[in-house]
Order: sequence, then C-alpha cells, then structure tokens
Amino acid sequence: MTKRFNRRSILRGAVAGAGVCVGVPALDAFLNGNGSAYADKAALPTRFGTYFWGLGLTDTPLGGSRWVPETVGRGYEATPELISIKHLRHKVSVFSGFRVIGDGKPNVVHWSGHAAILGGEAPARNRVMAGPSFDTAVADALGAGMRFKQVDVAASGGQSACHSTRNGATFATPETTPLELYQRLFGEGFQDPNDPNWTPDPSIVLRRSVLSGIAEQRKALISEVGRSDQLKLDQYFTSLREIEKQLEIQLQRPEPCEACEVPDAPKDLGNSVTIDVVNANSKMLAKLLAMGLACNQTRVFNFVHTPGTSITYIAGEQKTYHQITHDEPTDTTLGYQPKTSELAGLVMGAFGDFLNEMEAIQEGEGTLLDHMLVMAFSDTGYAKIHSLENIPVLFAGGAGGRHIAGQHIASKGEPITRLSLTAQQLVGVPRGEFGMGAMRTSRPVTEVMA
Amino acid sequence: MKLPFAKAAGLALLMAAAHGAASAEWTRTWAIEWYEPAHYYGAETGIIDPGTDCPKGTNPEPDWIGVLKKAGYTEQEALWLRDPSHPYRVPNHGQNQMAFRGEGRANVYVHPELAADPGMQGVTGTIGEGLDLDGDKTNGFVSVDGKTTGIDNQFYRTMGCWKYFRGPPRLSYNAESRNDEMREGRWTVLIVASGEGDDPMNDDKVRVGFYDSTDKLVKDGNGDIATGYTFRIQPHARFEAILEAKTVDGVIVSTSPTKEIWLRDPSYARELQLLQAQLQLTMKDDGSLSGILAGYRPWKRLYQGMVEARGSVIEQLTWAELPGVWNALKRGADYSPDGANGEKTHISFALKIDAVRAYVMTPDASRKVSGVRSYKSEAPPMGPSLHAFFSNRFRVTDGLVPDSDGVILAGPDAPILPPTVTGAELRARLKASAKGAD
Repeated sequence: MTKRFNRRSILRGAVAGAGVCVGVPALDAFLNGNGSAYADKAALPTRFGTYFWGLGLTDTPLGGSRWVPETVGRGYEATPELISIKHLRHKVSVFSGFRVIGDGKPNVVHWSGHAAILGGEAPARNRVMAGPSFDTAVADALGAGMRFKQVDVAASGGQSACHSTRNGATFATPETTPLELYQRLFGEGFQDPNDPNWTPDPSIVLRRSVLSGIAEQRKALISEVGRSDQLKLDQYFTSLREIEKQLEIQLQRPEPCEACEVPDAPKDLGNSVTIDVVNANSKMLAKLLAMGLACNQTRVFNFVHTPGTSITYIAGEQKTYHQITHDEPTDTTLGYQPKTSELAGLVMGAFGDFLNEMEAIQEGEGTLLDHMLVMAFSDTGYAKIHSLENIPVLFAGGAGGRHIAGQHIASKGEPITRLSLTAQQLVGVPRGEFGMGAMRTSRPVTEVMA
Repeated sequence: MKLPFAKAAGLALLMAAAHGAASAEWTRTWAIEWYEPAHYYGAETGIIDPGTDCPKGTNPEPDWIGVLKKAGYTEQEALWLRDPSHPYRVPNHGQNQMAFRGEGRANVYVHPELAADPGMQGVTGTIGEGLDLDGDKTNGFVSVDGKTTGIDNQFYRTMGCWKYFRGPPRLSYNAESRNDEMREGRWTVLIVASGEGDDPMNDDKVRVGFYDSTDKLVKDGNGDIATGYTFRIQPHARFEAILEAKTVDGVIVSTSPTKEIWLRDPSYARELQLLQAQLQLTMKDDGSLSGILAGYRPWKRLYQGMVEARGSVIEQLTWAELPGVWNALKRGADYSPDGANGEKTHISFALKIDAVRAYVMTPDASRKVSGVRSYKSEAPPMGPSLHAFFSNRFRVTDGLVPDSDGVILAGPDAPILPPTVTGAELRARLKASAKGAD
C-alpha cells in the first residue's frame, strides 16, 4: 500500500475545465503478501503475425520424424504432419533443426521454447522473459496508425495463453472466442472504411482528451510503488497511450479497403477443449482476424492455437494431448508415437485452415497471405521429454515479396533466434541482431530473404 | 608473494593434510553426461515389447475405470472422473480425485498401505547389470558376459518391467527425461579420480570423488555434451561422494564399500543416498569414463519423489498404480542398515554412468584439482527446496495440485457430481467445505 493510493484510487485530473478520472490496475502494492487478494492507394501494407501451437510435432529419439521433409531447399515433400499445408507449400518455408540454447539455465518445460523464440533468451523461470517479446517491436514498426497496434487471440481459451509482452513480466490478454474478437475488431468504435456516411463521433473527441489530464497523478503513483508495480504501470499506461492513438485515428476518415467486408457477429462456441471444438473456434477466429487485417484494424497479431501444455483431447477419449505425448510408447513397427502423431496432424490441420482464410482474401493482385508473414512455431521438439532441439518453425506468406517461400531450411543445432531475427527483417523491422548470450545472433537466414 | 620452493612445497603438503587429501601423483577428471538405472534390456526393440527380461512385456496400462470401481466409485462416477472436462482436473496436473481410492477414501499416495496391492510384475530374467554388493555369488543376477554372478540389483528386479524404467540404453522414459533435464543445465555432477602410484591404469591407492557443480553442461552442434569444458566444484553439504578404490588395467574398482554417499539422482527423488557403495568405472582410451556405481538406496524416498511429482500424473504417464509401486519396492527391499531394527529400508540399486573428459577446478577456480578431498566444510547450508521437484513452478501437497486459488479440487468427501454441475459450483462447495474445516 502507498501513502496516497490504494486499490480504490482513481487518478484524477482536468481537461478544459472538466474533471477526468482513470482507474488503476491491480498493483502488487494493493495486494496481500501472497498476491491472492487485495491489500491511400499507397503500397499494400505488410502484416505480421505469430502462430503458436503446443507440444511440437512428432520426432522419435532415434532420429525419425513425422514432419521434417527429407528434401532440403525448394520442392520439399509434404510430410504426414504437414499434409494440411500441402497445397500452400509454395508459400510456406519449413525450418528444422533449430534449437534453444539455455546458457546454463534449465529447461522450464512448456515455457523455455516459447519464451526464447519471442524474447531472445532462455528464461530463468516460469512466466518471465528476459525482455520484451519481439512481436512488440514489429507492432511498433508496422502498427503505427492502426486502430489496434496488435491483436492477440487464443483459440483454446486461457487468458494466460498469450505471451506477448513489453516488459517480460506482464502479458497481453488474448481474445478467446469469436464473439470477443468480433466485438474487438468490429464492435464499438469500428469505422467501416467503405461507409459513405462516415462522420467523426463527438464522444470520441471528449474521450480522447480524458487521458491526458492525469499526468501529474500518474507520476506521483509511479514514484510511490516498487519496481514490479512500476513495470505493471508502464504496461498499463502504454496501453492507455495506445488507446489515445486509436481514438485519434478514429477522428480521421479511413481509407477505403477493397477487400473489407464486415462479417456478421458469430455465436460463442463455448469453452470445451476437444480438438474439434478448438479447431472450429480457431477457424472462426482466423476468418475474423483475416477480415480485421483486411480492414486495416491491425497489422500485427499473435495467434495461439493451443498453449504449451495443450490439454485438448479427442471427444470421447480419456487422455489429453499433453498426457499422450508423455505416456504413449513409440510403436516399434511404425517407429513413432501413433496417437501423438494423429493429434499433431489434427492440430496442424487448424494451421492449414488458418492459412486458407488468409489466402481466401484477394488483395490487389495477390492474396492477404501474400502480403503478410506468419511465423508459426511450437515450443518443443520431441514433446515426450520437452526437448528444446529441432523445434518446428514455419514461415507462411510472401511478406510483400520479401520472403522467398517454399523452402526447407535444415539446421544442425543453430539458435532458433536466427529465425526470430529473420522474421523481423522480412517485415521491415530495422533490427540488425536479436537475442542474448548464446542465442544472440546477427545472422538472419538469408536463403529465404529476397 | 614468492616462496622458496621447499617452503612452498611444505605449505602445500600441510594444506593438503589439513583437507584430508592423499598426495596424488595423478588426477583425472570428468563430467557425467548421462546416467541412468542399470537395467538390462532383454527385448529386441520397443519399450513395452516382451523380452527375456520381461516375457510378458511391461506391466500393462491400468484400466482406470476398473481401478476406481474397485475403490468404491460407481461406473458413472468413474467415467465422469476420467472425463478430461471434469472440473476436479487441474489443467496439466491430473485428476486429483484419483488419490482418494483407499480404505475410507484415504489418499493412497500418502497412505499406500490403505489400498489393495494391485501387484507389479517384476523381472524374471537372469541377466542383470550392477555389482555384487553382499559378496554372495549365489544370489542375484548374472552379468551379460556371464563372467560375474551374484549381482545385487533388486531395484531392477522389482521395477525393471515398469514402462517408466524400461527401454534400450538411454531410451527409457525416466532416463530420457531426467538426463535431458541435466543436459539442459539443471545440475552437473563431476568425477575426480586420483592415485598415488606412477601408473594411473594400475594403481592400488585410488580415490574417486563425485561433486556438484553449478557450471552447466555444454552441448556441441550435434546435441552431445561437449568434451573438455571447465567446471568448478561447488561444495555441497550433501551431494558429495568419496570412495576408496584401485585401478586394474584402467578399470577403477572399489577396494571396500563406502558406508554412505550422496549424489544427485536422475529420478523424481532428486537425491540418491547409497549405503555400502561400490563402483566399477572404466577409463577409456578416448578419455571418457563409463561404468557402474552401486549400493543400497532408501526405497521410501524414491516412492515419495513420485508422489511429490504429482501422484495422479505419474500414474497416468507411467502406467502404474502408486500403491503397487510402494508394495513392490517394499517386497523387493533387501538391506537393513544399522538402527533399522531389521526393517528392510533400502533396496540394492546400480547406476550406469557415462562421463566425458572435463577440466575440474577448485571452488574458487584458482587451480585445477590435484586430488580427491572433501569440500563439505566449505558448503553453504542446504536450501529448503531440495526435495520438491516442481517447487519453482507449482505447489504439490500430498501428491495433489491445488488450483489457482489454492483449493484442492478433490477429497474423500468431495461430491462426484454429474456433468450438469459447473466447475464454479463445485469450487464454491469445496471452498466452503475447506473453510468449515479450518
């Protein structure tokens, strides 16, 4: 607890003589010790998104794989677990053999992979990254002027599934249902760029001014709380500043978007996590996201199909996917875990559907997919032992002509941050190196860069 | 400061004596890159397939519906408890209610004696790996080459047909998982051998030390542990082992059992106490070291480690009922130390060790180690979380994982309600019940 602020505090100020107030997030300082209670025609834009799924793809400890193509370079074959992207192989690059290097830090299972790819360094502990996730740098570079700098989506529920962060400690809250995503993208505040009767909303003019009136109290609060709360407040006020920018944008007439069609509001599909429901949810979310991108509501997204410890399951069965990866013995005849591979195929089926939605929208002479880059990855290689080696990564889309797609790049244990750096450079982020320690690299994978 | 040679040598000798070190003529050093229970694998391929060790293959996956029904749950309740959407399941952490299947719905993870013993099929083959710990050549296993009899490895006999521990070298679930942890940096074990003779390959006075290090193993581009890296000894109040030995044609063998040693264990128990410890390690031409470290380990601690790793998760992943494991270990135990009043508290056990050549430095990194001695007096006090497998990630209480509010969604009196009742309603009832109990 600080001297002047508590959990009921409102930051107050004045704008043009009118009183304004802004609430405060739940800071550590307000919680008990356990933290459990209160005390134009211009060039078509390039979009970027991450697509994450948990539990990797199927390897075997003897070196077999159900996903790594044998062919290196162009013309790779569609392996069993990548069959869903077979028709789009010419627009997808496959990366195998990359790994996370721990620099002496132990593998924080179901976290190290995700955190290292996004944050550039193997994390020291669970739910903490060494710094901002790189998608935020992309959002800063691509998202300026957008209604939403970035949009975060989790198809199998879970408010903690998204790991986009600006400070390494607090994470973006994703939309988890099509209804939530619809309301965010096309609900209150959405301006149809093709509406001939567009006028500025006077209430927005007022709301825009509100946030600038509390500067003094904001500084006072920051000075009174600990480092952890300062980080939270920084994230919070950054979000508020982004709202201000969004409101400013809404005072300007949007550019018409040829491909933009406002969809009908979807129904909520519920909370079940059976794989068929997750995939249906994922497909609907992908459709909405694709239209949100086409309508220039955002240019950056993070899409989580299933979290690292995916507990999705096949309807009617007793075991979850996570459990199966660990308990299923390798079939000695087949040479792999058959049920695990079946589930991996179903999960990747959703990625195929995701890409189909991006490919379905025509934009100029190409498709939306041609004007975006999706970096799809998991957090583990051989999921049975939470391996940080041979983590599957796919780059999908043309990145506005910068991505030489349709290749299989095979590495032999190089740091996976090379791919994070490559993705950023492909979408125009001015970054020469990425990562820390042994994961620090200034070598993008130039084979896929035009 | 420069000291005359004789004076410096005298001082060094004095310091060495103070540390209890023998004057070593030679010292060789390694880092363990893989270690696992020494289990002879008798099948041609696969994990669960039949072989000479386990003619019926591994113990089959339990019929969990049947297990619950035997424990007094109705079929409808059992089916609902096994449904992945059941609200008592804590995501990723299993179905807590599975614990309550003992007599009077007791928690069988902490009271395995209150559950019927489902039995566990052990190894029936005659070939085994390990060492003859009791000197009796007429009991135990025969070595793979048939030259050694009386190999004591009751742990293998008891647990060798459990899917968790079975598989070709380096391919059992236990070995893969725990070694991957070590190789990714969770712990490092160093080995130092030194001798007083002129020939390291044949020396009657050899000491072997196992030490902790906080310097992590390093992988090479192939994912193997790199050779020739430097590690500092980290003095540890518990994890240190010193054994007396000799070398015969490059094989280090114990000259007498060491009463008690401790080292980090590649299992959920996290720690390995060995009584009457012996070793047989081969110094290979390529500089690596391979062989066996054996002794009697406390079986209850091994069991407890599995409970602490979340009882229901371990049961599901490894295909065993924990009361069956408890009873099998109890039956297989074959050693009663002084003070145990005849109770067999320990079970014969052997570790298969592979180590790569490494440079090992003193704790202050001032010089390479030049002999085997104890560093325990320099160790900081042990932390409180030594045992807790997941202490840095989540809490486990009696083999159960509370939900995010700290409530254990299960219990002997917890209602096993039909799917029409929501998880929120169940939580509210359990929280109210827990509050009443306070």
